[in-house]
Amino acid sequence: MPSKRPRFVGGKILRNTGHGIFYRMEVAVPDRVEFVPGQFAMVSGWPGNDPLLPRPLAIFRAGGARGTGTVEFVYKVVGRGTALLSGLHEGDPLSITLPLGHGFELGAADRAWWLVGGGVGFSTVFPAGAALSEGRGDFEMFLGARTRDQLPPREWIPGGNLPGRVHLCTDDGTAGYFGPVGDAVRERLDGLKASERGRLTILACGPREMLRGISESALARDVPMQVSLENHMACGFGVCWGCVTAVREGEKSAYRRVCKEGPVFDAREIVW
Amino acid sequence: MVTPAAPPDLAVRVGTVSLKNPVLSASGTFGYGLEFAPFYDISRLGAVIVKGLSLLPSPGNAPQRIVETAAGMLNAIGLQNIGVERFVAEVAPRLEEAGAVFVANIYGRTVDEYEAVARRLSDLPALAAIELNASCPNVKEGGILFGSSPHGLSGLTRRVRAATAKPLWVKLSPNVADIGSMARSAEDAGADAVSLINTIVGMAVDHKTRRPRLANVTGGLSGPAIKPVALRMVWEACRAVKIPVIGIGGIQTAEDALEFLLVGAAAVQVGTANFRNPNACVEIIDGIRDFLVREKISRLEEYRGGLLS
Repeated sequence: MPSKRPRFVGGKILRNTGHGIFYRMEVAVPDRVEFVPGQFAMVSGWPGNDPLLPRPLAIFRAGGARGTGTVEFVYKVVGRGTALLSGLHEGDPLSITLPLGHGFELGAADRAWWLVGGGVGFSTVFPAGAALSEGRGDFEMFLGARTRDQLPPREWIPGGNLPGRVHLCTDDGTAGYFGPVGDAVRERLDGLKASERGRLTILACGPREMLRGISESALARDVPMQVSLENHMACGFGVCWGCVTAVREGEKSAYRRVCKEGPVFDAREIVW
Repeated sequence: MVTPAAPPDLAVRVGTVSLKNPVLSASGTFGYGLEFAPFYDISRLGAVIVKGLSLLPSPGNAPQRIVETAAGMLNAIGLQNIGVERFVAEVAPRLEEAGAVFVANIYGRTVDEYEAVARRLSDLPALAAIELNASCPNVKEGGILFGSSPHGLSGLTRRVRAATAKPLWVKLSPNVADIGSMARSAEDAGADAVSLINTIVGMAVDHKTRRPRLANVTGGLSGPAIKPVALRMVWEACRAVKIPVIGIGGIQTAEDALEFLLVGAAAVQVGTANFRNPNACVEIIDGIRDFLVREKISRLEEYRGGLLS
């Protein structure tokens, strides 16, 4: 039976190719992987004890049948672990724990959705777009990057790069909206009628500053928002308590694990 | 006719506590144990040692709490935990139901708090032992105040010893000049066993941002980087005391575990290895069994403590 319980499995790389500043890796695993968009995996694929810890990667896509599965990751080289992953080839073995964490809540069918990805953050929100385009469908996408070359390849965009549905933003104005993606989101929010805002939920992943800015815009306009946070992790499944973030708890705040209670949180909870 | 040999006997004793095998999960790396139930049957472990418990729930340190270092990691979690009451009410019954042998690691801000936690846990018939954390480097009150001098350790151990009839294991800090005299202090004060080592105090800074990498500035080093230090200290402690010594520090594989058993450890604890491989503990148990089969050793006890000179 395909299981949503986390498993520790051995995988074999089917493809690991560069696309601009991003890598896309497809891995064969022993069984079908079922996941909720926004969930992630802990991945390692190098011999020896250094680096010691696996790396958290968002699950970009997964599938397969009983007894044979595939899982895909999209990542950017940010340090030693991802640099080592980027050097792996077809046939190389990986250790993977998945699926992990609390993903996006794609609840009511009558809602409209805005999916916001800053930098490599698109790799976390695209699976939500894929799930939405299979069913309910009413979503728009905001993608932010420093410059044109750092936007995700258009063919990866779930539901296709439809004009009016996908809003590209670059800090240097080389493609789409000239400025931070958070500004584009805020301006578009202000152009909505109250009835349109009432149907809207925003899902976002990207740099913490970007998420903070968009959550201020969204919450001030009573638009619910779910944010996917990142952090350094040792275990990824809730036992080391190393990846916590502060959340509101009544009058006070408490530390919650990004890997377990997150990575997706209700934006109202986060103490930025 | 060849009869298949009986599987080797991995059972060990830590004082009065009998364990089916010598592999225990180290406190602080295994949550409350139940988090590992999706991966394997936790009753397979020699024992589960749960995250350090205090009298009241504790929020822990501000992030950033962890940083990876060469073949290791630094942590400064700050003993975030649910508190002893919730452990007794919510966690212990489920550990018992799972068939796990479990040990509670405890700490307090004061000796009175240590006593109170130990007393409360003494009400749990299924609890196999109490491990006294006299060595957390990340919280001033997390035991290091008591655990860095033989006198302080002796006073704390004596008081907790008097507060509970449960087997009492004292977890020692490596951040001391003479580990043997610390182990002897615990033994003289009535400990049933000592476990060592806790993490080694370390530090990491970012040369570009010019800031410490941990909010707590310093943290506890764990992982394979510390294994040689741990092995030396376990060997010294084994020679210093008559009570059992539980070996901890950088154990990743069955071979690592066997090395600690060889220098005299009664059992071992596996910590940071659980982070990189959730199945680490059971893979180590299987690896020890395979080694004994290959070497035609029928009982682990025949191998344990057999270091040749």
